[in-house]
Amino acid sequence: MTATFERGVFLPHYKDFTECKPIISIPLPEVIIIPLSQHIGAPCEPSVKVGDRVSVGQKIGDSSAFVSAPIHSSVDGVVTAIEQRPFFTGNKVNSIVIKPDKTQTEFVKKNNDIGSLDREKIIGLVKDAGIVGMGGAAFPSHVKLSPSKEIDRVIINACECEPYLTCDHRMLMEMTDMFIEGAKIIAKLVGAPEIIFGIEANKADAAELIRSSISKDDNISVTMLDVKYPQGAEKQLIKATLNREVPPGKLPFEVGVVVHNVATCIAIYEAVRYEKPLYERVLTVTGDGVANPANIKAQIGTPIGHIIHECGGFKGIGSGEVKIDTSDVRYPIYAPPEARAKVVMGGPMTGFAQQSLDVPIIKGTGGILVFTPGMITDSDYLACVRCSNCVNHCPMGLYPNYISTYAETGRYNQAIDWGALDCFECGVCVYVCPSNRPIVRFVREVKQFASQKQD
Amino acid sequence: MNTLLRLTVTPSPHLHSKESVSNAMRDVLIALIPVTLVSVYIYRSYALLLIAVCLGMAVLTELLFRKIRRARATLSDGSAMVTGLLVALCFSPGTAWWTAALAVFIGIGLAKELMGGLGWNRYNPALFGRLSVILLIPIFHQVTYVFSPLKQNFGNVDILTQATPLALMAQGTGYPSLVQMSLAYQGGSLGETSALALLVGGLYLIYKKHITWHIPLSVIAAVAVMALLFGTNVLGVSSPLYHILGGGVLLGAFFMATDWVTSPITPVGKIIFGVTIGILLMVFRLFLPPTEGMAFSILIMNAFVPVIDRYTKRLKFGELKKTGDTLLGT
Repeated sequence: MTATFERGVFLPHYKDFTECKPIISIPLPEVIIIPLSQHIGAPCEPSVKVGDRVSVGQKIGDSSAFVSAPIHSSVDGVVTAIEQRPFFTGNKVNSIVIKPDKTQTEFVKKNNDIGSLDREKIIGLVKDAGIVGMGGAAFPSHVKLSPSKEIDRVIINACECEPYLTCDHRMLMEMTDMFIEGAKIIAKLVGAPEIIFGIEANKADAAELIRSSISKDDNISVTMLDVKYPQGAEKQLIKATLNREVPPGKLPFEVGVVVHNVATCIAIYEAVRYEKPLYERVLTVTGDGVANPANIKAQIGTPIGHIIHECGGFKGIGSGEVKIDTSDVRYPIYAPPEARAKVVMGGPMTGFAQQSLDVPIIKGTGGILVFTPGMITDSDYLACVRCSNCVNHCPMGLYPNYISTYAETGRYNQAIDWGALDCFECGVCVYVCPSNRPIVRFVREVKQFASQKQD
Repeated sequence: MNTLLRLTVTPSPHLHSKESVSNAMRDVLIALIPVTLVSVYIYRSYALLLIAVCLGMAVLTELLFRKIRRARATLSDGSAMVTGLLVALCFSPGTAWWTAALAVFIGIGLAKELMGGLGWNRYNPALFGRLSVILLIPIFHQVTYVFSPLKQNFGNVDILTQATPLALMAQGTGYPSLVQMSLAYQGGSLGETSALALLVGGLYLIYKKHITWHIPLSVIAAVAVMALLFGTNVLGVSSPLYHILGGGVLLGAFFMATDWVTSPITPVGKIIFGVTIGILLMVFRLFLPPTEGMAFSILIMNAFVPVIDRYTKRLKFGELKKTGDTLLGT
């Protein structure tokens, strides 16, 4: 028996590129770019200057705001610039640029006895480690560990419902104990008597491994979920596992739940046990356009050009040789004139297509996808024909058809009436739309309108 | 010679299903093949001429209006062909071809293209065209006079003179057997020749998930209930099957009322829409001259679609149904 939520869509998985490949490390790049704002909340102020020497794990930026997360150097090296650099959203963001040393030292781990640490100490360690939600939303984790309401369940999100991505799956397989310990730390902090692991049914091996690693008195259960998108969206996951609905505009606290992602659990464990900051992460490099798809562990701030180069470069995007010039900091790509490719940071449903390869990976980056021309979707679209596919599949029960036609004609207030502000941009409506309408883009327009109206 | 590659940038999501408007329209055309074949089998050249004229006019009208509006050609979406064929199926054999051509021109040109093209039209283009020429009949005499030398005559017209089942029912002078009406009946418009063929086509569209059962079933159910309640008194026929199989009920219920653009979005809305069409149709049939009741009923309800959508708006995820509900499940 598998549990699930209402509506949503069954997507092709595309996980076979990497799901059986163990996590590997890659060599360091020539340059590391660490954006000062990688999270929801206040951006960091740099605590280093150009020319400063930094070491791996050293804090290089912080903020006094509660909803924020400090950033750390992911290498030993020298700060060469603090300037605006391309960010994965397409904007530019103030970033600390570091030239890594040729020889690197290991990060010196502490060895804390978790049982002897008190609550304040643990939350302090998590905040100092700069941990944010690593499933993509990048919400500072220490905030979620200090709930304002009583919590009775911690749900660990092991769905990985985005096609292509397999990094969470690999972490479940290779770091099972750290993951479970991390979940226990979270449950203890929020005072929840029970932990639920929500796993999609296509990761039965990981579920088995977890079941064999927990004992009866842990109060941990594993819930198998339909392989349906967006099963890993927080509200849909809570609905599927506990049949509780988080009201529009509210957080999971409201229904007594805290949700954390697999990678975040492991990062919290490492932060509490070893005092290791979040300066590296596991991500999936995949797609039909990359030569050697892989699950890799990479330093935060590594440019995606370097990562794609280390995974064998481009494949099948044009008839001839394609080269990434890694000696140029902008990582230009030279290809036959007819070549086309798309590089996406994140998952295929919610990720951002990139203009250039000098964009660095950040704490919330779960994947880099490289698509050949055959996988590039058409951008032409037609008028809404009211087929009702989007309405039948929208996991939030909204009306993407009306939202998109009203936004298209500039009537943003009507678009809000039909639910635009409750959309979390999962992309299901666009996926099923026979007119190929860019509904997510329209929703973003409406949200921008609404935020300007508020100011 | 290698050049600098510009990466393609589009908003998320980066995956897309195989759904497309042209695929759906192609399936509608496939679903109409059975009834089209039956009509050609029965009416021969008369059916072929009407179908050819309507399809040709549909293509020409769409090209013309797209050109006038300086809009991108959308012939490939297939909606013009669907409208053309549906208009042809709404006419009786022997109808003057220019009448059918005018219906297509009005349907696609005015009801669809001038409204903004497919998706922006409020009324079903095929039915709008079909009914327009009925309303225009009074001013047709002159036109008919001009065009009458062009009237087609394929001979063997006796099969065309047969009264429709509904006319027979209204006269109370006996009617064809149910079996005859279900399989192939010589009388009425091209699209009314075979209930079975329409049913096969309609079920194919449901199987392909282009339409749902809500509208066809609620139309048919409403017709059946109305026939049971009032049928005997007025027409002397109690069997709801005559009302369902006769006239345009099945063609309308499966192919016209289910038109994506001009029908409600939610299942509840679709049922309200279907039931109302069925009731309206029976009012037309029982109390008004029995002609084109289905077309009028659907067009009238097309006008109410935005209202139905607004009043059947469902709750968002997490919205409370009523004040007594709690946030916590079990």
